Amino acid sequence: MADQKHRILMVSDFFFPNFGGVESHIYYLSQCLLKLGHKVVVMTHAYGNRSGVRYMTGGLKVYYVPWRPFLMQNTLPTVYGTLPIVRTILVREKISLVHGHQAFSTLCHEALMHARTMGYKVVFTDHSLYGFADIGSIHMNKVLQFTLADVSQAICVSHTSKENTVLRSGLPPEKVFMIPNAVDTAMFKPAPERLGNDEIIIVVISRLVYRKGADLLVEVIPEICHLYPNVRFIVGGDGPKRVRLEEMREKHSLQDRVEMLGSVPHAHVRSVLISGHIFLNSSLTEAFCIAILEAASCGLLTVSTRVGGVPEVLPEDMIVLAEPDPSDMVRATGKAISLLPNIDPQQMHNRMKKLYNWHDVAKRTEIVYDRALKCPDQNLLERLSRYLSCGSWAGKIFCFVMIIDFLLWRLLQLWQPTEEIEEVPEFTLPHHQDEEIISNFNKDHSLG
Amino acid sequence: MDNIISESLLRPKWRKVAYGGMQPGFDDNHTDESFLEDMVMNASVVKRDLLKVMQDSVSISQYLCIVTLVSLVWARTLQSTLDENSLLLLDASLFGSGFLVLLLTKEMRSLNLLFHYILNISFFTTGLYMLAPIYHPLTRSISSDSIWAVTVTLVMLHLFLHDYSGSTIKAPVALKNPSLTSCVSLNASVVASVFIASRLPSRLHVFAIMLFSLQVFLFAPFVTYCIKKFSFRLHLMFSFGLMAVTLALIYTLHHLLFMLLLGLLVFISVVCPCWLIRIQEYKFEINGPWDEAKLCFNVTD
Repeated sequence: MADQKHRILMVSDFFFPNFGGVESHIYYLSQCLLKLGHKVVVMTHAYGNRSGVRYMTGGLKVYYVPWRPFLMQNTLPTVYGTLPIVRTILVREKISLVHGHQAFSTLCHEALMHARTMGYKVVFTDHSLYGFADIGSIHMNKVLQFTLADVSQAICVSHTSKENTVLRSGLPPEKVFMIPNAVDTAMFKPAPERLGNDEIIIVVISRLVYRKGADLLVEVIPEICHLYPNVRFIVGGDGPKRVRLEEMREKHSLQDRVEMLGSVPHAHVRSVLISGHIFLNSSLTEAFCIAILEAASCGLLTVSTRVGGVPEVLPEDMIVLAEPDPSDMVRATGKAISLLPNIDPQQMHNRMKKLYNWHDVAKRTEIVYDRALKCPDQNLLERLSRYLSCGSWAGKIFCFVMIIDFLLWRLLQLWQPTEEIEEVPEFTLPHHQDEEIISNFNKDHSLG
Repeated sequence: MDNIISESLLRPKWRKVAYGGMQPGFDDNHTDESFLEDMVMNASVVKRDLLKVMQDSVSISQYLCIVTLVSLVWARTLQSTLDENSLLLLDASLFGSGFLVLLLTKEMRSLNLLFHYILNISFFTTGLYMLAPIYHPLTRSISSDSIWAVTVTLVMLHLFLHDYSGSTIKAPVALKNPSLTSCVSLNASVVASVFIASRLPSRLHVFAIMLFSLQVFLFAPFVTYCIKKFSFRLHLMFSFGLMAVTLALIYTLHHLLFMLLLGLLVFISVVCPCWLIRIQEYKFEINGPWDEAKLCFNVTD
């Protein structure tokens, strides 16, 4: 069973050329699954003029479906609009399993629904946390409940995220797996020479928005600058709260001690990170936080707020946690500054190599795929009863949506029979172009 | 003893961590007994008291009565049972009583502020008087039925979106600015008054009815708010008096409307509070580490 090769379709609205936690998760997971011999196809919406089929490193095939994003890089929810193209891709690529990512990707929800209608096994990965109080979350949770009602297996990126997903969707906890993100340690190496300790540089890289705690930074930075005269800040990132940070800099005349870089392209993140000693994360909510991993991999000591899944991400001696409150964050930063002489970036980097590895993530995901494929097949009636239990009103609406979807699928089968859809020819890359990943892979294994 | 130690050494304890790969001896879907132990249920639920809720609902009934009275004056004027002179008299007496209430209930009584208010109001009245000829023929080409339909819709919108918790115009002590919905509500009421005014026969009628409507819609919430702050007992007495007067007046207009209003008042002041108390037991609030952290200081943008 272990050497059974899957043919996986990854679906999400979020993919390259965008950058973020979800995007890099899909990319690295796909690359490593390809290395393990599976076939991986990615489906996302068109970005600008990037539309149609593209190939990425390692023969990763990406379908940029020509649907325009309408809000926050999401496609317009049409419920049934994507059925024909999803069906065509599933048949053309002879997919055996569909894997959707991110709870607020409409494309992912629609594709998972169609895939279930067509009898495919589906896996869903949740990358974010949601509360239960505001109107937005309540609706989001209902949509998630709909998608997850019939999902074969689900994956979350941290234990806190798993608790959250189980509560939101009502899935049995044994169906939800915890598989974290990882970091490409080969890309995030520490500076070749150790930085001097007479001036301490604190790096912040995040979008400057409310949820990332930009308002906390406005309170914390002047206080730290006042207490520790040898500290400097480098702030990378852009957003609506940038004005507030710049106001703070003027007000406390810290222009020479707080450097504002604006948005930093992902390729330059490492070069910014390695110019500092401490990485400061002030998020108010975070399911996992890849930024912390990148910083730790570059050998920086992390100071972070104790929110969401952050406490699970690093061992206690590599991170200083604080409550999301300015005075406690100042205390934690002070503690980090006192710990700094004992931190060896190279040693930290080596530890990170052992702690996180995308190949390990891929192997664990493979187990989830095997489990999903072992789930028994179910007919429409059995599946409808699951939707019906989602709520007195919502359950009936969900059932109705699924019945229509089923009828549309049958109609499509009459209109364009499966046999008439051309299947893509198989091809295997003669040799892997990026030897580096493989050599890293082998090296990591010899270490582990 | 040795056996237990070696067993616990062999099988390390499950930890709630994401690093270090798959934990030996545990699958990724392992659910520990510590699962969901940080979850807090109904932490910030307020216990509600039936009497308190009923007392609070009186403000809503009171405002409903005020709006009904305004509509009554509109209807009477359109029926020509109320002429322009008595309307102007009504305006003047409303101004007088409104000021009296403000003067008696507010702590800061300064002649300067009063003068400031009077100046503003005279500007306002003059402006309205000059605009009256414009409002007068505004909807001449539209049928009365459509105007009535639109007006009723707007008044309903006004009632639905009205900010019942405080005054619509900003009191000097109020901290927060009026919200978007309360602005929409106020505008709906003003448009409704303009529509009604435009159906009237003379310019003086238009001026008088516009002045009356704007006085009530702009200042009545503020005045009732002042009364409520001054003394809750007075507020209750005033509200019940208002309800009685409204019911009596509407009875002379139409019997069905009387029944409707009475039913609505009972629904708001008795049925809704009981209902709210009953559904309290279904309240289910979940908090836990996944919630967005709240900042402990105020953010001023």
